[in-house]
Amino acid sequence: MQTTQTATPVLEVAHLEKVYGALGNVTRALNDVSFTVNRGEFVGIMGASGSGKSTLLNCVSTIDSATSGTIRINGQDVTRMKQAKLSQFRREELGFIFQDSNLLDTLTARENIALPLTIARTNSAEISTRVQDVAARLSISQVLDKYPYQMSGGQQQRVAAARALVTDPTMIMADEPTGALDSKSARLLLESLEALNRRLRATVLMVTHDSFAASYTSRVLFIRDGKIFTELRRGDTDRREFFDRIMEVVAMMGGEGSDAL
Amino acid sequence: MLCKLAWGNVRRAGRDYLVYLLTLTLGVTVFYAFNTISMQVDIAGIDEEGLAQVMGSMLGDLTYFLAGVMAFLMVYANNFIMKRRKKEFGLYQVLGMGRGRVATIMALETVIVSVVAFVAGIVLGVGLSQLMTFFTASLFKTQIANFHFFFSMHAFNLTLACMLVMFVLTLLLNLRAVRRTKLIELMGAERRNESIKTRNPWIAIAIFAVGAVLVGVAYYRLLRDGFPLTATDSKLQEAMNQFGITTAMVTVGTFALFWGLSGMLIKLLQSLRGVYWRGLNMFTVRQLAAKVNTVCFSMGVIAMLLFLAITSVTCGMSIANVMNENLERYNPVDVSQTYVYYTPETLDYYKEYVNPSEADRMVLADATVDLYAAWHGDRKDPDNVADGIKGKSADNNDETGKKVNIADVAGEHVQIDSYLSYPLGGSGPSVVAGEMCKTMGEKLPKALEGSNADDMGLFVTPASQYNKLRQMMGEDPVSIGRDQYVLTCDMGGELGDLYTKYMAGGHTLTLGGHELKPAGDKSDEDTAAIANSAMGSNPGTVVVADELLSQLNLQPYSSNLLVNYKQGMDVTKADESIKYTLLDNLLVDGKEPGSWGVFIMRSEMYTQAAHMNGMISYLAIYIGFVLVVACAAILSIQQLSNVADGSRSYRVLAQIGCDDRQIRHSVMAQQAVFFLFPLAVGLAHSFVALKVIIELVSIFGDMSIAGTVGLTCAIFLAAYGGYFLVTYLMSAGMVQAAIATRYSE
Repeated sequence: MQTTQTATPVLEVAHLEKVYGALGNVTRALNDVSFTVNRGEFVGIMGASGSGKSTLLNCVSTIDSATSGTIRINGQDVTRMKQAKLSQFRREELGFIFQDSNLLDTLTARENIALPLTIARTNSAEISTRVQDVAARLSISQVLDKYPYQMSGGQQQRVAAARALVTDPTMIMADEPTGALDSKSARLLLESLEALNRRLRATVLMVTHDSFAASYTSRVLFIRDGKIFTELRRGDTDRREFFDRIMEVVAMMGGEGSDAL
Repeated sequence: MLCKLAWGNVRRAGRDYLVYLLTLTLGVTVFYAFNTISMQVDIAGIDEEGLAQVMGSMLGDLTYFLAGVMAFLMVYANNFIMKRRKKEFGLYQVLGMGRGRVATIMALETVIVSVVAFVAGIVLGVGLSQLMTFFTASLFKTQIANFHFFFSMHAFNLTLACMLVMFVLTLLLNLRAVRRTKLIELMGAERRNESIKTRNPWIAIAIFAVGAVLVGVAYYRLLRDGFPLTATDSKLQEAMNQFGITTAMVTVGTFALFWGLSGMLIKLLQSLRGVYWRGLNMFTVRQLAAKVNTVCFSMGVIAMLLFLAITSVTCGMSIANVMNENLERYNPVDVSQTYVYYTPETLDYYKEYVNPSEADRMVLADATVDLYAAWHGDRKDPDNVADGIKGKSADNNDETGKKVNIADVAGEHVQIDSYLSYPLGGSGPSVVAGEMCKTMGEKLPKALEGSNADDMGLFVTPASQYNKLRQMMGEDPVSIGRDQYVLTCDMGGELGDLYTKYMAGGHTLTLGGHELKPAGDKSDEDTAAIANSAMGSNPGTVVVADELLSQLNLQPYSSNLLVNYKQGMDVTKADESIKYTLLDNLLVDGKEPGSWGVFIMRSEMYTQAAHMNGMISYLAIYIGFVLVVACAAILSIQQLSNVADGSRSYRVLAQIGCDDRQIRHSVMAQQAVFFLFPLAVGLAHSFVALKVIIELVSIFGDMSIAGTVGLTCAIFLAAYGGYFLVTYLMSAGMVQAAIATRYSE
């Protein structure tokens, strides 16, 4: 497995801080977090509940605003962007996969996947071909005309992945994408993500508390108490070995009173 | 402890409860204000006895109707709340709270909200009723002499009773909901989606088409058949049945339209690929479709209610307008007295049923009586009257005991004699409107169709009398030759047009074998009234030369004495004293050729018209307003709950990069459909119904849907639009809040 990625940074986070609350009752969710993600990397962020990993993803994905520090995606500082620009940015540069698939219940799979494209006013012929393509890649072509409630959880999650991919985003943000899935569906989804990452060089940033899910990535950042605790690279090791190493770190973090896993 | 929890809940679920609270408050306000009308009438200085009572009793019935509307509204608002709070009640049970205590909390919540709503509603209602007094006064065209603050205990009690009933009702419904619902359903209430109810779009389209056809056919039938009001008895049942079928068709059709609407919309937009796959259109349509499925019934109800409201208001106010506009024409003189002669058709009826004890002296009239002479007779000796006419009056002393003579009061006066268009001893009219229509190849005015108004035919009047009336009203006399005729009619509208067309067309009339040509080309309507009246007194008269008339020897029908008071006389005083000159009966050579018809003072007509006008406008506006507001409130609640349900979807949209503006547009588009579609359907129904009503009413004059009606409709639309706007703004706020919430929460 190739570890020396093309070394162009897609995401650069520098001295990121996020503080909630007012005087006297301050929660420091992120405390001086810095890291970079290169193009084509599959990065996992692990941490216990309350460690700040979700806050980090929210800030990076421009849904939440940082208190201080900078976040550059493709060279653009998203912390200084205006609201209208942010929508456009999210639309063009980012793709999202959530814990609960967050598909729109009233739309069919095809329509759900097409939504980011229609919002961007892509012409309808192109929408059609791109939806077909991405659906084929994630092997969900046969469910395109079903409604979310007619699909299994795994299919829903893959439709959500397709929706995230259809715009060819610079970076895919996944927030506990396997959280609501059984182990088989989870594996299928993770394999899809891994394949996307390898074959199409998609950059993926995945937040998870599941070591198994994290073992599919090429690098894992561990967060504790709003800081980056440590970082683990997969290198040339195979997935199982990488999983064991992750477990070690988790155990170590847990040993210090944290409740990871 | 439970109280505290309930209070906390109400405060926390503020937004949900706000809708409920507002609806309830609105209901209480309107209900209280409505029931103070009799008091308002009092304060507004409407002095006519009985009016307040008549209105009071009419309003009594309407109160039930209103209570019904209110109950529907409240149950609806309550269901809305319950749907949102199910999960919380489920949670309490999961945590081990007994159902009884959960029910108590819920009851307490309902009590808190109801009490607040009741107090607020009464306060607003009291304020509103003070304001409405001025509105009432202006509608009834009176001045408020001494305005004072008032509070109606009666209205208060009624409102309180109504509220209590409704409170108990909603409480029972809620308790049932908590007891019946399974815990799993309570807990999952939030997440359960209605998308399961998607319909086969082709079936939906078929239903939509059926609805459209039904409505179309119903429109056609209504336009063709009209309302079954003018049909004669024999045909009435049949006509009513037909009308019932039409009503059923339009009702079923309306619901079918809404049932199929979603499928129709989807298929229509999907066929326009460029539109469907663009921006949020696809989302908007799907969202609409999902919701329309569940609310199609209430949309149908709303369309029908709006239809009722628009029609009743427009129609009521227009009729009142027409009556008002033509009041001057209908009442040309200070006072009029009609004497109706017995004819071969009526004599037996009078002898047998009306006054059998004096049947002996009743005779067929062979000549008209000079009413003024009879009336003017020497009041000291009623038997001593010229020409053998004897007038007897019940009591000719006024309140001071002084004898009053008509000559003391009357100034200018004229008698108009109306003859039937067939000779003495003959039968069957020779001039009828139906025949005239046939001659011209025109359709008979709708209002005359199937009625017996046509059987009697037109009246005939001598030119000398007609010209005298014209002179009295400041018009030049018309010269009518021996072979000429003029048509008069004071009802205006379609009937007047018919006569004018007939004369302008140069058509001839045959009367007793004489062929007559029109003298002029326009039927007169401004000097055509033959008595004071509320809705016109002359449905059609042929004026002919005196010598022809005397030669024709026609059957007298009525004599009408039109009297203006002496110049400079105070009308109120004159009205008072002329009442004492009224004759009890009138004998010609000891025989009675007819009986007294109506005696009408102009001032009385004006007051009556003002009251009638006021009452119709009042009720129309009130009912209309209540219906419109109720509809708008229901729509508003639905939409707000839709937005609340859909907040997750809006959040997703924002996350995948949809900007706020696009989302707001989508919300706006969805709500516009919900608000405008029922309105459009209601307006379409109203338009057709009004077209028929206008045709029907046009016999009384041209009904114009303008002026006050336009203003009223504008106010209604403003109220409806206001609800739309507020709903949209609140929704936009909710969407904004949903988007701003961090998704990981």
